[in-house]
Amino acid sequence: MDVNVPDARILPSSTALPASATAWRGRQIFWTVVLLAVVFGAVPAAITATGSSYLAQIAITAMIFVILSASLNHITGTAGLLSIGHAAFYGIGAYAAALLSTKLGLPFIVTLPAAGLIAAFVGFLVAMPTMRLVSIYFAVATLGIGEMIYVILLNWVDLTRGPMGIRGIPPIELFGWQANTLLSRYMAVAVIAVVCVWVLHRLTHSYYGNALRALREDDQCADSMGIDVVRLKVEAFVVSTFFAGVAGALLSHTSAYIAPDNFRFMESILILAMVVVGGMGSLPGAVVGALFMIVLPEALRDIGDYRMIAVGATMFLSILLLPKGMLAEGASLAFVRRAFARGWTTMSGGTPVGWK
Amino acid sequence: MIFDIFLLQQVINGLSIGFVYALMAIGFTLIFGVLNVVNFAHGEVYTIGAFIGLMVITALAPPLVAVVPLVLAAGALSGVGLERLAFRPFRRFTDEASQKSRAMREATLLSSLAVSIIAREIMMHLFGGDMQGVPSDYLLQRPVAIGPIMVATGSLVIFATSAVMLGALQFLLYRTQTGLGIRAVSNNQLGARYVGIDTDRTIVTTFAVGSMLGATAGILVGLYDGAISPHMGFAPGVKAFVAMVMGGLSSIPGAVACALLLGVSESIATEFLSSGWKDLITYSLLVITLVFFPQGIFGHGRERA
Amino acid sequence: MKSKMILGAVLGAVMSAGAALAADKEIMIGYQAPFSGDRSQYGEMFRNAAAIKLAEFNASGKLPGATVSIAYEDSKDDPKEARNIARKFLDNPKIVGVIGDFSSTVSMAAAEIYATEKMPQLSQTASHPDFTKISPWQFRNITTQAFEGPYNADWILSKGLKTAAVIYIQNDWGISALEGFVDGYKAKGGKIVATETFNPGNRDFRSILTKVARQKPDVIYLAMFYEEGAALAQQREQLGITIPLYGTSSLYSPKLIELGRASVNDLHLATTFTPDNPDPAVQTFVKEYVARHKAEPSMFAAQAYDAVGIMLDAVAAAGPSVTRETLRDALAKTTNYPGVTGATSFDPATREPTKSLAKMVVKDGKFQVIGEP
Repeated sequence: MDVNVPDARILPSSTALPASATAWRGRQIFWTVVLLAVVFGAVPAAITATGSSYLAQIAITAMIFVILSASLNHITGTAGLLSIGHAAFYGIGAYAAALLSTKLGLPFIVTLPAAGLIAAFVGFLVAMPTMRLVSIYFAVATLGIGEMIYVILLNWVDLTRGPMGIRGIPPIELFGWQANTLLSRYMAVAVIAVVCVWVLHRLTHSYYGNALRALREDDQCADSMGIDVVRLKVEAFVVSTFFAGVAGALLSHTSAYIAPDNFRFMESILILAMVVVGGMGSLPGAVVGALFMIVLPEALRDIGDYRMIAVGATMFLSILLLPKGMLAEGASLAFVRRAFARGWTTMSGGTPVGWK
Repeated sequence: MIFDIFLLQQVINGLSIGFVYALMAIGFTLIFGVLNVVNFAHGEVYTIGAFIGLMVITALAPPLVAVVPLVLAAGALSGVGLERLAFRPFRRFTDEASQKSRAMREATLLSSLAVSIIAREIMMHLFGGDMQGVPSDYLLQRPVAIGPIMVATGSLVIFATSAVMLGALQFLLYRTQTGLGIRAVSNNQLGARYVGIDTDRTIVTTFAVGSMLGATAGILVGLYDGAISPHMGFAPGVKAFVAMVMGGLSSIPGAVACALLLGVSESIATEFLSSGWKDLITYSLLVITLVFFPQGIFGHGRERA
Repeated sequence: MKSKMILGAVLGAVMSAGAALAADKEIMIGYQAPFSGDRSQYGEMFRNAAAIKLAEFNASGKLPGATVSIAYEDSKDDPKEARNIARKFLDNPKIVGVIGDFSSTVSMAAAEIYATEKMPQLSQTASHPDFTKISPWQFRNITTQAFEGPYNADWILSKGLKTAAVIYIQNDWGISALEGFVDGYKAKGGKIVATETFNPGNRDFRSILTKVARQKPDVIYLAMFYEEGAALAQQREQLGITIPLYGTSSLYSPKLIELGRASVNDLHLATTFTPDNPDPAVQTFVKEYVARHKAEPSMFAAQAYDAVGIMLDAVAAAGPSVTRETLRDALAKTTNYPGVTGATSFDPATREPTKSLAKMVVKDGKFQVIGEP
């Protein structure tokens, strides 16, 4: 690898893009259809065919964690700010949705965005003082804030009912249609997850995403190139916490009962593990990592008490063999560019540059 | 009524909590310093130290002073093993792009987490998830009255041990060739290699020393607390981590000072609010510190990464 | 869901037809508990106790023509895993009832699913006041603190201890233990001078004890588990505080003495289970448990042993053709189940268990029953 080209990992040298716009359009349609067919075709078909509510439950959990993992990847992978308090924003979203729907009787169509906005607002408040921090200092600040939010959820009994948790949260409902069956619940969660991932995809795979990656690699350099570093960091953090809040609302409305224990430090670490196992900075990686880390413990259920050892060992091996993740950032960006986007222009030799 | 003997007792209580964090933070900071990577498995080394100590005590019943060398050996061994397993494999990528890559750095962090999960689960199968009691003769819990203030023998032992460790480590780091090597690797790994330092060996040494300190901390805190369990390392590990960062990463005395600050803030928060809220105060202290000292209280100015 | 029920029923019918010719019909009970992670010690105790009860039941011939087995699943004390397990159990047509989970948070996460999908669930330990209010499908085999608290309050007041401080764990159980005790104590003329809470996982009680000692209460009432109780008792000794300790039944475990050593002497508590109880049922259980696991059973093991017993007797009452519905009805009819934690009945309206309590004190490193009224 040529270290003198800092972008060498991002710009693939071998994947030449044909000039023909129709070929590109065809590939985009093909991949979009394939992915949608898996999420809305194959998975529901598998659930219906096996009649397994177990499968459906895992699919719902996996979809929620896809949002969490993809949103953490936005701040930690793309923008390079290691956050180890993500579960707290997930918790804020879950509590916001639960309290708004049980205490004020607001419908899902209101609680879902409200949960995201409240989490994003808290994220904004957190981001303001902490954005001067770099690397591990920022990580510890997010850890501290995550623990503070957990302590508040646990001890502010008048508002959150503390350790009693909140129960009786209504299921997902849209204009009179209620997601009563598991399959419809999965479909509703999947639609929202796909929308969230699509928005993150548009943010990540763009010039805006390039700016985030630039400040990750060297924020002082990015600053001198005219990128408003602090503003971009705050934006990235707010976007990330917004989607964590949305995931929290989905948890509330699909599980009917939440308690502070759902949002502890180890949950943040689990989400981080998803991002790392999948591939830091790679959105497809974050999705795959989430699926992997949710399905793995269930798949290993049959080996009994040694299950967690096997989970740890698998995770260790995966990181050891693929330290850049299952779908590493460079390859993922190349893939996304080829399948869903176009280079703005091509360099000599046909290497695509930029996003369109 | 506020400035009475109970408040003084609270400060002492806080210091005794703080020294537990400090004891752990010393080894933690040493290991962080050399690789600039968080070692999530330090809590497990601490637990291993406690269990090895307990096994020696129940099997041989030697005097306490004789337990320590065995625990040190166990600590050194687990430190070397940990480095081999979770850290060395990631140094196989030596090109600059990989070394600067965040994905690589975070992968090392997560690999130590994975090793810590495996170690904790294995210990749970070996020793059971229950807390293990300590034979009464070894408990470091005898009350000592200093005027109207009550202190446990364990607090004094932990205080003395932290002081000795801190002194020995400062000597090692600033007065010996090995220490010079550690500081060089910590400052710039590639540069250290260019000037002929065996970086691998230096890193292994650091892990061995840091884990020896961690394992000793484990057995001492176990004897002081009166209970040893596979998950005993987690909570003090988080606090030690926080103390290290507040102290500015590179400064071991800074980490100790911040550990004490955390301990005292916890007990004072319990006095005026409620124990349930004490972590809110502790972590607010952390965030406020970082807002005013973005590199920690004793940290150096920012280098260009 | 309905089609699956029918499928299950058809499968069951086919199998019972076959059973007459070949082997016994197989009935399964699901057991979800933490077998890995930080709470695995409790799951292990439950499984140890459950295995003893199951072997006893299958040997007893209470249910001719069928054998019962238990499917264990590890919830890791994690609500997400509990929900997955709940679905897994529901998918298995052989499983007619579920025992577990351990903590209320996790039990209730699963309970929301069992309630809508109609599976009887019996928790040995979930003490959240809302647990049995979720649906008629939830049962528990643990006395609520609304019963134990006033009982202990009466006991403490009868000793002439008029002012109390309460130290409780910040979880659903701790809050209900606090409320149960405080209500009972105040109603009988006692005065609460301090209530202090701590978050789960806390190991240092010096600050709390120092703060409480300032108020000079006659007694400190502990609403916590044995691990914290032992640490608290030790630290009380180190601080030179001599205020007597009373506590909830959750402190009852041989581990309390193993961890706390001399410092737990004189701790008073009331419990539903004592291994010294001459009742033959208790003695067989204790003997078998000691033989198998080289340790005396704790209150938690006893609680699980009885939960499994209640569930199995309900299966026997419903007969070999038991379904989830008939099992629920049979469970609801449980009256005076002769368990090791006392005779258990479920209140017809609330499905709350009622039990009797025995008073105990730690003396010379042993729990001793106090024979006072």
